[in-house]
This record gives sequence, C-alpha cells and structure tokens, in this order.
Amino acid sequence: MKTPIRTALLTSIVGVLAAASPSHAHHSFPVQYDVSKPITLTGKVTKVEWTNPHIFIYIDVPDEQTGAVVNWALEMGGPNALLRLGWKRDSIKADDLVSVEGSLARDGSRLANATSIVMVATGQKMLAGSSGGAAAAEER
Amino acid sequence: MNRRSLPLVTAAVLILASSLASPPSSAQWIGYPTAGVPRKPDGTVDMSAPTPRMPSGKPDFSGIWISENTPEGEETPSDGFNLSSGRQMANIGVELPDGKLPYQPWLVPIVAERTARLAMDDPHIRCLPDNFLRAYGLPHMLKFVHTQDLLVMLNEMNAGYRQVFTDARPLPEDPSPSWQGYSSAQWSGDTLVIDTIGVRDDTWIDWNGSVITEDAKVREEIQRPDFGHLEIRVTVDDPRAYTEPWTVTLTQRIVVDAELIDEICLENEQFVERMGLPH
Repeated sequence: MKTPIRTALLTSIVGVLAAASPSHAHHSFPVQYDVSKPITLTGKVTKVEWTNPHIFIYIDVPDEQTGAVVNWALEMGGPNALLRLGWKRDSIKADDLVSVEGSLARDGSRLANATSIVMVATGQKMLAGSSGGAAAAEER
Repeated sequence: MNRRSLPLVTAAVLILASSLASPPSSAQWIGYPTAGVPRKPDGTVDMSAPTPRMPSGKPDFSGIWISENTPEGEETPSDGFNLSSGRQMANIGVELPDGKLPYQPWLVPIVAERTARLAMDDPHIRCLPDNFLRAYGLPHMLKFVHTQDLLVMLNEMNAGYRQVFTDARPLPEDPSPSWQGYSSAQWSGDTLVIDTIGVRDDTWIDWNGSVITEDAKVREEIQRPDFGHLEIRVTVDDPRAYTEPWTVTLTQRIVVDAELIDEICLENEQFVERMGLPH
C-alpha cells in the first residue's frame, strides 16, 4: 500500500468536540476500522454520496513519495447526524480541497472512517459524525 | 451524559457553533424549540418537573426519547446532538446479577459466536428493523405519540413504527410473527402495562446477539416519573430461549429542540459488500 500523508495529533478543540459527538453506529466500527491507525488525508473531492446509513466522500490524494494520485473513500456519519452537527448537504462539494482525519480500514483498502474534516480554503473544521465516536478520538 | 461531562459538552457545542461558517439553520426543524418544555430560571430544561398528563389524568408519554446511559440518571436532555447509547445496548442483561441473560443451553454457543464476531451477523447491519427492546438501547431517536387509546412509537431508523393499543383489546390468537409483535396495554395506576406477543423467531435484542422467539411474552411497565425520563421495566418470559423469566429496566431521557429525520438504511449500505459478507 502507498504511504498516505500522516500528520500529528488532533487539536484539543477537535478532541473536545469528538468526545462529545454522537456515535451513530450502523455497523460495528471495530470490525471494519482500526482506531490505533489514525490517518490524515488531504486531497480534492471527486464525489459526495449524501446518503444513509452513512455519507461517503471520495478524494484524490497524491502519494507523498511517488506523486501518483490515489482515490480514497471516507465514511462519515449519516445525514441526520451531520445535519445536527451543523452541516448542510452542500457543505462539501466536488472539487473542494479538504483535509480529513480518521481511522484506517483494517483490510488495507483505500478506505477510512472520518472523524473531522477541514475545508482547506477557509480553515473551517467540522466533525464528521464518526461511528467510532469518542473511542476514535480518545485513541489520539 | 453525566454531570461531570456537562461543562465539556457545553464548551464543545459553543466551540462548534462558533467554528462553523454557516450555523445550523431550521432545515428539518433542527433546533426548532419544542413546545411546552419546563425550564428553570436559568433557562435550562427542568428534567425533574412534574410528569405531563393527558386529559384523562394519566401520564402522557409523548415526546422524543433516547437511551439514558448513566445509572444515576442524566439531568440534562438530549438536543439531538449528544445522542447516547443505552448501557444495555451490547448486552441487555449486563445489569442482572450474573451480568448476562439466563440462556437456554442451545443459545449459549450461538450468542458466544455472535459476540466473538462483533455483530457481523446482526440483522441491524443488513438494515432490517430493530425490535422495540433493541430500539430502547440504540442511539436512534424514538418519538412517542400518546393518545387516549393508542401509543405510537416512531423510530427514526428505517422510519419504523410500533403500535401499542390501550383500548382494552385482547391480544390476537395465533398471530403471524412480526418484528414488533402485537401489543395491548392497560393502566395500573400511573404505570402503563404493555403485553406483547407474536414476535419473530431469532429476533435480536442486543449487539451480542441475544434473541427472543415466537414463544416470548414480553411485559413492559412504563412510568414517566418526571418530565425528563421514562422508566421501562421489561420482563421477558420466553422458556424456549431462557431458563427463567428475566427483568431489566431500560431508561430513556427526553430529547428537546430536535425532530426526527428518517434514516433509510438501504439507501447506500456498503458494509456488507466491503466486508465480503454474503448477501
């Protein structure tokens, strides 16, 4: 697997927010994701699936070593969870540049469960309604 | 949420609100004020205010509810943001003396395997309905609409519903099994006593994979001791699945300034395919 871009710890603000965030678990988070493998991915949004039970966004991420672009799938909370967190359905659109923090999938695929998203153009940070909830944040 | 976490959550909400370029609007009535909410002089919700009552004088269970997850009781409502899972969500028998349900021998290895597989076989994952016992512990809002002769429980998940008739009708004979069964209730003082039969075999009631069967007789004794809480005392008599009847209490707390938003699970369910599970 290509080495993804990794960054340091979440900020304390995100930690506070994530600890208080709802845990909308349609499925068993630890079966699919590993909170001990945090990841930060920065790239351009290629597709948004604003759907139940969980929203997915897809981003093109250039590999930091080879420069090759890899498309990642990022799972978030469901629409009702994100709406309650302050999102609008067009808060993220195709071509937006975003930086996403989350947990890697256990199967090694280009899949992660997002805990927070930063809109690079504005610096706006939003929780992603991770089904890992506080556990995912506490791991950081 | 407990008392210690209240300042944390309050700070988090304030920080979140100030960090968003576009604060929450009234779309889907998120944040729309719930009518008739008793408040203290400082504006916070008075969870211990008197029990709302219907014209008949009986307690009115109407409202949006979510699992309470502290044994001592939570003193703040949910606002739809801080939705909590029940203490019994994974193991509905966790607070019984042995910490588990009195399974019949045939059920012991089944639950053990399901637990070991971290709910991979869970009907919930397949977007199938949650039985009411399960729904009381999941982090999905339930809306009770209570009238003189009918209590309707709406579930945000899969836009589900359950009917509890309070018009003194008898339970059906030889009912066709269903996900919520057939429920009829009567008042005993301020306690609504609901009897339910006719659920499907292998109906999951927690993440671990505990089940009730077609033979189950479920009694719920529901009280609303104050504005902010429901206490649901559940007794399951299912000799096919359990060696003896068992009783647990599944407490709920009120949700205010929020509204249901349906969550139709099959829209874009990807877990089954991504995990390579059989369809």
